[in-house]
This record gives sequence, structure tokens and C-alpha cells, in this order.
Amino acid sequence: MGDCHYLEGNVRAERRVEYAKGLLDQIGLGADRLEMHLISSAMGREFAETTVEMTERMKQLGPSPLRRRGNEK
Amino acid sequence: MNEFEPQIVAFCCHFCAYAAADLAGSLRLQYPTNLKVIRLPCTGKLDTLHVLKAFEEGADGVMVAG
Amino acid sequence: MIVGEQKPLEEIKELVADYERILVLGCGTCVTVCFTGGEKEVGILASSLRMATKIDGQGKVFDEDTVQRQCEWEFLDAVEQEIKEHDLILSTACGIGVQAIVERFPQARVAPAINTTFLGLPEEHGLWTERCAACGECMLHQTAGVCPIARCAKSLMNGPCGGSQDGKCEIDPEVACAWQLIYDRLKAQGRLDQMLEITPARDWSTSRDGGPRRLVRQDLRID
Repeated sequence: MGDCHYLEGNVRAERRVEYAKGLLDQIGLGADRLEMHLISSAMGREFAETTVEMTERMKQLGPSPLRRRGNEK
Repeated sequence: MNEFEPQIVAFCCHFCAYAAADLAGSLRLQYPTNLKVIRLPCTGKLDTLHVLKAFEEGADGVMVAG
Repeated sequence: MIVGEQKPLEEIKELVADYERILVLGCGTCVTVCFTGGEKEVGILASSLRMATKIDGQGKVFDEDTVQRQCEWEFLDAVEQEIKEHDLILSTACGIGVQAIVERFPQARVAPAINTTFLGLPEEHGLWTERCAACGECMLHQTAGVCPIARCAKSLMNGPCGGSQDGKCEIDPEVACAWQLIYDRLKAQGRLDQMLEITPARDWSTSRDGGPRRLVRQDLRID
């Protein structure tokens, strides 16, 4: 965190992600569907692992309630 | 339900996670094809509206990486 | 500028509950620069409402538009057709903009999406503080440019009071004592003698005590 090409871009991003998480809870999508990860340019392996793990977590959560509704129609 | 493949939009910093994704490719590492990467000049450019639009257009998850 | 804060989404969902076609109408002036009700915030609010109501199983339409200023007829006239085509106008403007819509279009149903909070300025990114109470009789020349009406919790004309501690107001350690600010600035400018002048009790008839206020400029009138 803070180890950023633009010095503190990712710090600001994290605050914005927190705000957006609050919105997602209010909307009813749930904050769990938004994740922030700190991955540097040297972390190719971590990038692949993180995306695999996140995909698993999203599978557990199931489809977005917006898509579920759409599928019913 | 087991067939469900979540759609994930990943907002990636050009200098960090986007380069990492590139490296993952060079290393021949597998990562899910349901991940749609959007390159940002910096995650500081992340916009709440873009996150919401991703969900509105049907994303199951959004990842911000930088 | 006029500073506002968006109402919680739960509250806004109740405001729109009985309507189907809703126009989220932003304002391009004060609430744009305080990031509350401009084009961007209209987009975020409308997107949030579209998703929230869809998840709740409702088929509502939320259209978006933003006018340059909701508090002037000519800018409202530009969206007359849109206003008439929707059964609710969810305004992200200040209270003036909301009222302007119904005055111009008496049939329009209007709901406020924001709370108009105060007249202030952005002290830092993401921090707004009150500066003016629109009291109708400015005395900033006596107080080194610091307003004791808006910035002193008691609106004291002669301060500071005993609640001033280390430059802060007793109501909140985050709030500066306005009279300490006045003292400091007068001292820095070498005119502390002004602190000794007693300002008599104020005539509040220019403020809310006089009822709703109006201003007429004959030189500007057309009819």
C-alpha cells in the first residue's frame, strides 16, 4: 500500500472501494462482490492466484441478484 | 448451479496489476477466462460510477487491483 | 457555494416507491462542485436505484439529466418535455432547485434526493465547512473577515465565551472557535484594539426573524 507509481493512487482507490462497498450494501448487491487487491508488476503468479481465488469466492456467492432476476424472466 | 461461471471485471493499474497480468501470461500461468481486465492509468482513477456500471451490466464481481 | 449531502439510499427508495417513471435531475452549479448532485452523482444515484429496485423485483425506469442551474426558469424550460414525461422528478439540487421545478411546472411531482446542509467552502478535498448564515447584514469588516454568526456556535457578537478552549469550541474539538480566529487575525494585523469595541445586540429582522425575504431591484425590472 502506498508503494505506487503515482505514490498514493492505490491509497485513494482503497478509500473509493470502501465507499463503493457501502453503496453495494445499500443497493442489495452486497459489499462482498467488490474486492481490492494490491498486486505489483512483479507479482504475475499472485495475480493469477488472486483471480482464481476470487472466482471461487464469487462462485460461492452465486450469480449477481440482478442476473438471477433477469434469468427468471 | 455448479455450471455457474461468475463474470468478473478487473480494474487494473497500468503500472502494477496490468503488468502483473502480462507477466502471468508470459509465465504461462492459467487464470480464469471469465475475468475481463480494464486497464486504468492508475487505480486512483477508479470511479464509483464505473464500478456500478459494471454491476449494472451484469458483472457478478468487481476486482480493483493496483 | 451551497453545500448538500445525499440522503441515504433507503430513504430515497421510499420517496420513489409510488412512482414508475422517474427522472433523476441534477444541477450543474453548487451541488456539482460539492460532488452531491451533478451529472456524475446523478449517474451514480440513478444506477444505484435501477439496481436496487430491480433486485426488489420492481420495474421502474430511472432516466437521467442535468441542467446548468435548477434555480432559474430558462434552464428548467430546456427540460420541460422530459419533466412532463415522468411521474416523479427526483432532484439532486438544493432546496431552491426543488421548489423551482414545482413553481415552473405545477403539475410536476418532485422529491428531494439531497439534504441542503449549509453555505460553505471546501476546506480540503472531501471536507466542507460552513462560512455564511445569509443573515442579511454583513459584519465581516468588524471581525477580520471571520463570520461569528455562521462560525460561532452561539453566534456571539462579542466573544470569545468561556467555552473556548485551546482555540477550539466546546461543542466539538474539531470545530475552531470563531472568536479565537478573529482574535488571532486581528493580532496578526496589529489591530487588536478592535476587540475592545463592544458590538450592540443585533437586529435580526434582516435574517429569518423578519420572515421570508425578498429583494427588488427596480433598475433590473422589465415590467
